[in-house]
Amino acid sequence: MWWRRLLGHRQARREQDGPDVEFWRLQSMFNNFRRILDRNNAVLERMADMERALGGEYIFDRTFLENAVRRIASDVHHVVYSLNALTGNGHVSLYDRYQDIRTILDDILSGNEQATSAVAVPLLGDVGWELEPLVGIDAVCLAELRRHAPERVAPGFAVTRHAVLALTAPPAGPDAPFGQGGGDERAQLPRHPDADTVREQLAEQCADLVGGDADARLAVTVTRLDEEERALPLAEFRLRPAENGGRIEIILESARGGADALFPPPDDGSAASRSPAPVTGRIVGTRPLAPELAARDAADALAAAYVRCLEDLLRTLRDGERDEPNDARLTALVCRCDAAGLRGTVLSSTISDDAPDLGDVLAVHARHPGLPDGGDTYLLRRIQPFLPVRTDIPRRPPGTRFPDGRLATDLTDNAGLMRGSALLGPKDVQGLAETSTTLERMLGSPVALHWERGRDGGCRVLRVEALAQAAREIDAGELAAELERAELLSRGGQMVQSGVAAGRVVHVDEDTPPSTFPAGAVAVARSASPRLTPILRRASALLTQYGTAAGHLATVARELRLPAVFGVPDLLRRLPDGTEITVDAAETRVYGGVLPTLLRFGAAGTDLYPTDPEYRTLRRLLRFIMPLHLVNPESPDFTPEGCRSFHDVIHYCHERAVDELAHFQERRPGLGSIRTRRMRLGRPMDIRALDIGGGLHPNAPREPGPQDVSSAPFAAFLSGLLHPDAWNVESASLGLRDIVAGMPRSMNMLSAPPETLGENLALINRDYLNLSLRLGFHFSVVDAYLGNDPQRNYVYFRFAGGLADPERRHRRARFLRDVLEAMDFKVSLNADLVVGRLKSTETDVLRSALHVLGALTAYSRQRDTALGSDAVMRALFDTFNAAFLREFERNAPTAPEISGSRPERSAEDSFEEAAACVIAPHDAADRPAGGD
Amino acid sequence: MPTENTDRERRLRILVLDDEPIVCKRLKPAFQKMGYEVETYTDSASALSRLQESPFDIVITDLKMEGADGMQVLTSVKESSPDTRVIVITGFATLETAKESYRKGAFDFVAKPFKLGDILDCVKRIEGELRGKK
Repeated sequence: MWWRRLLGHRQARREQDGPDVEFWRLQSMFNNFRRILDRNNAVLERMADMERALGGEYIFDRTFLENAVRRIASDVHHVVYSLNALTGNGHVSLYDRYQDIRTILDDILSGNEQATSAVAVPLLGDVGWELEPLVGIDAVCLAELRRHAPERVAPGFAVTRHAVLALTAPPAGPDAPFGQGGGDERAQLPRHPDADTVREQLAEQCADLVGGDADARLAVTVTRLDEEERALPLAEFRLRPAENGGRIEIILESARGGADALFPPPDDGSAASRSPAPVTGRIVGTRPLAPELAARDAADALAAAYVRCLEDLLRTLRDGERDEPNDARLTALVCRCDAAGLRGTVLSSTISDDAPDLGDVLAVHARHPGLPDGGDTYLLRRIQPFLPVRTDIPRRPPGTRFPDGRLATDLTDNAGLMRGSALLGPKDVQGLAETSTTLERMLGSPVALHWERGRDGGCRVLRVEALAQAAREIDAGELAAELERAELLSRGGQMVQSGVAAGRVVHVDEDTPPSTFPAGAVAVARSASPRLTPILRRASALLTQYGTAAGHLATVARELRLPAVFGVPDLLRRLPDGTEITVDAAETRVYGGVLPTLLRFGAAGTDLYPTDPEYRTLRRLLRFIMPLHLVNPESPDFTPEGCRSFHDVIHYCHERAVDELAHFQERRPGLGSIRTRRMRLGRPMDIRALDIGGGLHPNAPREPGPQDVSSAPFAAFLSGLLHPDAWNVESASLGLRDIVAGMPRSMNMLSAPPETLGENLALINRDYLNLSLRLGFHFSVVDAYLGNDPQRNYVYFRFAGGLADPERRHRRARFLRDVLEAMDFKVSLNADLVVGRLKSTETDVLRSALHVLGALTAYSRQRDTALGSDAVMRALFDTFNAAFLREFERNAPTAPEISGSRPERSAEDSFEEAAACVIAPHDAADRPAGGD
Repeated sequence: MPTENTDRERRLRILVLDDEPIVCKRLKPAFQKMGYEVETYTDSASALSRLQESPFDIVITDLKMEGADGMQVLTSVKESSPDTRVIVITGFATLETAKESYRKGAFDFVAKPFKLGDILDCVKRIEGELRGKK
């Protein structure tokens, strides 16, 4: 063929080229890339250190926090610099983003709250730990709980401390103090909200909360934050539309700190003024609905009235802060609530006045306004399954109809039992107990939570309050004696989150439905898969046999402060299903049975707690360092401006650097003239290798074979590419339609610049592979880094083209997508272009993935012409799955844990190891994995 | 005179001195859990005064503090109670300060941040030595 002759001519010319004048440029590119990887790695390690410190692994002080920020910032700055060096200053605006985040971190270290006060009235879902100084730890914990268990928390929003100040400030005068608008101070603090902005945000959030319901009710809690950021709830209100319409009513539910005196009943002869209740449930005011608005839309009028009402309430409470009204530290939490129905409180830890002999118990209280009695009280054990130790249910008259509409004598679905006269069923009581202990863990102190039963029958938390921790001195002798008697079932692993918990062992895996996991059990898993996340909120502790303390699951465990240990040797065998155990995560020990003294000791403030200043600062810092918001490089938000954390910045740099290298053969055609070595592969393909350091054996011949490859990723790829099963392909059926459809593409290829055409070039070093490959009429790029550190490893795969008609090419692209997704690649598909990324996973898993990609590259060549239907495509997938993916799935989870201590491989071993370690189709396991 | 048996059973007494309260707050229960008697101080004057009153088996001291710094505490302890083992902890570890600490008789020199297990192991080593001697 004439075009083959043309290619041959070009190849021959390439081999006769002169000195490698551009080699230094290529090395410079790669060195910058390597610097990005190195610094990325350093940043990730430092992040992991900070996270582990948060989990309680380290004893640290403020100096550690300052040093950690300084070092991470320095590394991130170097990453940004290296990316710009690599891309010819293609991402200069990233310096600005870096500086913005650095400034926020410095502000947090210096105690400046301005850094985090961008939103005045944040939705509960947007409230994070960084907002704690502005909304209080109670609101943050409720928000965190809502993130993990939305059904347990009422929807709502918070009003920050600065927003309250802005909203309630008197008109500014020339001598107006800070926070009253108009002064020079305000100009210097541009992040302070002004009153109009706050009103605007309040109106928006109220309208969302009302949601078009003209009967919507709100629960409002106003809290005072002291200098040490402790939260004291001052007053709790309910806002509701009046029964006779035209107004809203303000009901004071509870008040403390003198706040009740601020809200006397109105003296107007109305029902409100005759309200007999001294404090709770007293109507303390009404507000009219705007008539014209009410006529147009009753719900809008209601929302608008709620906004005005909130402003008035906050102003009254601020004025009541006698000491320093101008620097009042008030914040508000506003939640949607339902009509006055079943409601109550839960105390996660208390000693009952009526039954002190029971010791420390968990108390659930429930009352119904329609019943004349004081409600039920259920005292429970503080550990799962929260068995009742005493229940007080008042005698209720026959014929009493309960909130569920039933009588006490009505039969239930439960084996013919009668309903009984308790307000709450056992499941509701247990659910509330579970929620309270979760919140106790997150807050680091006992909690009182206030709940109500929603229209859907579920119990939802409206607010939570941290209670003072009673000092509980534990007798060290008693503890030592208990530990000496206890049976030590397991020791070792890596502590992820400190804490003590007890429960029954339940083995879980990625397929375990969270709803089947018994609440309060200890989750025991083989690996720390992120897919276990939903189980965490139901577990009392988490143990895994494999996994590192730097993964997503570890992060969630720390957010929930769930005692967790990863990498426990021989865990599954040592802890069979159903075993009752006590986990002491800080000691990485597991004991048989329940150890009450150890549990009490664990709850007595021995760990790093959310109330510790260092913990708070660290957690706030991490909010601007750890989270990864920029996940999808194809997203329009994947920009320097979209970076909200240092993790975003380094991820952006990494992706852009990979993209630069993945396209360098097209974007930098001048580099294509570098002298390369043709690989002798024994297959009808021409791959040329350019070794930039340790990619080929030093004694490799002029035409190296696969056995001469010492580049780990290239060796893994070749082992798949040359696998006999990958070439076991029936002849493709090529129709005239396909040939005609492919002609423009083939002509385009041949008219492309000579530097981008024809040769399949592998740029390799010991750990790196950048392969541009053209087989038939498709074009693919594999860019991979495969070292010993899972955090640095990645595989990028891009595929496009084909000779068949667009429909068939697209079908092949879908086939490729399915294969990639089966290996947990993140995949994007656009017509016949497939891009997949896999990163930060175990080295052996990535090696297996590269092997599969090699096999896939050979297997899928010219397949598009045969893909006449989706059924054929599915059959093709099934065949490939049976040959390669099943073994991948089988191999991947059992890959040994990588902890950075793996022995270095010798260069000579690379290809053999790759061939041995990666999958071998089960019907050909004894065949040599590479070549014919 | 205590018998050998009671000597072996006697709980080790540990004094922790660090001007960062968080360090004292976290070390105290950790040592209590191991069965040791622990006292914590955040200012060196009070700690030195207490050390004059009563000897401790182990003193864990920060290095950089207002008033008497850790090096002075180390010197003072070794003068008044040579058998007391001193562990120096610091967030500003340098080779020079480490050398000086050892020269003045420190048992160990630990840079902050440190794992709880590391300091517990260190204390256990001391306990092993002390029990072995007795």
